Amino acid sequence: MITKEAPAAAPAPAPAAPAPPRPGKKRPAWDEVPRWQIYLPLGIYLVFTLIPFYWILLFAVRPAGSTSLVPWPMTTDHFEKVWTDRGFGTYFQNSVYVGLATLVMTTLVALAGGYALARFDFKIKRGFMLALLCSQFVPGALLLVPLFEIFAGLQMINSLGSVIIAETVFQLPLSIILISNFIKNVPYSLEEAAWVDGCGRFRAFRIVVLPLLRPGLIAVGSFAFVHSWNHFLFALMFLNNQHKQTIPVGLNSLMSADSVDLGALAAGGIVAAVPVVIVFAFIQKWLITGFSAGAVKG
Amino acid sequence: MHSSRDRGTARRRTSAAVALGAVLALTATACGDDGSGAGGDKGAEGSGKGKIVFWDNNGGIRTAVWKEIIADFEKANPDIDVEYVGIAATEYQSKVDTAIQGGGLPDVGGVTASMLAGFSAQGALEPLDDRLDKSALNGKLNKDMVESLKAAGGGDGTLYSVPTSANNGVLYYRTDLFEKAGLDEPTTWDKFYAAAEKLTDAGKNEFGYTIRGGSGSIAQAFDAMYGQSGITSFWDADKKKTTVNDPKNVAALEKYAALYKKVTPAADVNNDFAKMVAQWDTGTIGMVNHNLGSYQDHVKALGVDKFRGIPQPVGAGGKRVQVSNPVDGLGVFKSSKNKEAAWKFIEFATSKEQNSEFNESAGQVPSNTEAANDAWIQKAEPTKLAAQALNDGSTTIVQLPYYLPDWNTVSKSESEPAFQKVLLGDMSPKDFLDGLAKKLNEAQAEWSEQMG
Repeated sequence: MITKEAPAAAPAPAPAAPAPPRPGKKRPAWDEVPRWQIYLPLGIYLVFTLIPFYWILLFAVRPAGSTSLVPWPMTTDHFEKVWTDRGFGTYFQNSVYVGLATLVMTTLVALAGGYALARFDFKIKRGFMLALLCSQFVPGALLLVPLFEIFAGLQMINSLGSVIIAETVFQLPLSIILISNFIKNVPYSLEEAAWVDGCGRFRAFRIVVLPLLRPGLIAVGSFAFVHSWNHFLFALMFLNNQHKQTIPVGLNSLMSADSVDLGALAAGGIVAAVPVVIVFAFIQKWLITGFSAGAVKG
Repeated sequence: MHSSRDRGTARRRTSAAVALGAVLALTATACGDDGSGAGGDKGAEGSGKGKIVFWDNNGGIRTAVWKEIIADFEKANPDIDVEYVGIAATEYQSKVDTAIQGGGLPDVGGVTASMLAGFSAQGALEPLDDRLDKSALNGKLNKDMVESLKAAGGGDGTLYSVPTSANNGVLYYRTDLFEKAGLDEPTTWDKFYAAAEKLTDAGKNEFGYTIRGGSGSIAQAFDAMYGQSGITSFWDADKKKTTVNDPKNVAALEKYAALYKKVTPAADVNNDFAKMVAQWDTGTIGMVNHNLGSYQDHVKALGVDKFRGIPQPVGAGGKRVQVSNPVDGLGVFKSSKNKEAAWKFIEFATSKEQNSEFNESAGQVPSNTEAANDAWIQKAEPTKLAAQALNDGSTTIVQLPYYLPDWNTVSKSESEPAFQKVLLGDMSPKDFLDGLAKKLNEAQAEWSEQMG
């Protein structure tokens, strides 16, 4: 029988007494630390992180055959080559389509599943949660042939729908768990108040709970998008038509068995990376909020 | 203020919009196929018209030339449409293997010697001997390449793949650096070792050689071993025991592996061909062993004046011995519903003009003997020298056992990490070769038993 789960009402623990200051060394206040002690390690880390990106940029914009360590003179030849000759324009569109569709489907289903796990109590709830967690240990490659046969049976081989469904299915377990934790953090009494005011369950969820889930939705949605944007295996295996392939498959095809065009590969890498970087630049604030909020059980 | 009726209508609209969106998203993308054409499907001869699907086993860099060939084919055969699918070489085998199990095989596909045993063992390929006998191509294909593909097809001598081209090992060296150091061309192994040492100044980040320690390292190590030892067969006279751990080969590998870090960059232990070629093209390294396939990359990076690509060095007896490079070819998948059109495409692609165009672009040795005399070969020096070395009797080829179903597993996934241990000094060359020989002898015994 399905029952409503009462919100946990544990009393807040009394704040611990502040620890007495330790004798001897006094820890310097944050504003007393010399700036170089902060910026030097950060600078070293930044250089270490950015060198590979600089390398990609260098190869993408310098002419073929140049060994210059600065990106000058610049050329757009490699970008033109990958975008038009190598079909990255088409691959980009397909990747955007797969990424957005996976984002929407993952978010919608995760919301429904997460709400059920957060708000209802049912017999197999613990077992279901365990199954969701365990499904994370199964690599996609292991399920490739069964998935291929299922999609072949549905006449969906060579269709972007097969990739979208496979990506969504693999994203869902973690997304459901995350969303469920976010929903648990929203006090149940808010929903009850909305019911008292005449809302149904769905309307109360939409008006009261959903706006409070924004960090969680952004976290789940962005991860679904980025994962499907970068994922290679399903697109490689389920799509045969050149015009339906995605960016990771296109990138892979820039390396042949005996030869590699590094300029084109680097330009393709930038085309692949830019949308992900933009997505993260816009959502990082909510993403960090989302993860910290989801990490605390309500 | 909204009435409850308005709220109900809005709710229904929202639900309908979500449902409609989901349905549209799936229906818009679900214009796929059923993936028919698995390994067990016997296919059909077909009408010789209609659409065929062609999977290129080295897509990307060869896409442009294949599209030109396909356009010419469709012009010559207006009743046939060819759908081209370029697949990266590294992923081709796993994609075909998945399609053999689950369906969705193409009509025609690239099938190199190294893939033949696996595909033919799964019954996925159509025998092509009879078709070739009746074809205008008969007698016009390089006999050695045809024999090589027959031998690799699982051991029953059936032809499953029509050769398109052969690759060959090349020693690329920087003519400017050799000239500056007053060195002779590295035409012998002794000159090779002497040059590698003389061109190295690790303090200035200058090295004589770059060794392949990562993916694909074994074939290159075999080339160095057999090239120095002069042993000309991979098996002993009884064809039961491999010669890889012959004392002469062990000594050759000890000398070759000792080059690592002495005259090569330390990062070489992870070198696959891409890293190795990029390192050579952008740095100051004297020599690199690769094949004809990277010639155009070197030209783009260095121009034609700063390097040459010559056949492998000759050994002590003045004899050049090298291991076989996989011959590339085209096969018809048994599940094809239009084998006649598929065969027409293969005939067209391996005809003189098309085969010449394809190999000029790929920089490889044409399989069509008439194409092998074309003018472009005289201009592409490494290809010309490779073709000469293969045809003038100066080179003995050690045929690698591509017919063994376990060959790729033993020579790649199991041996490459062990070879890295050899380079790092964690395993002796003798132990490495003894272990490899044991696995190969077992695989050969198993294969012999299966073949009766």
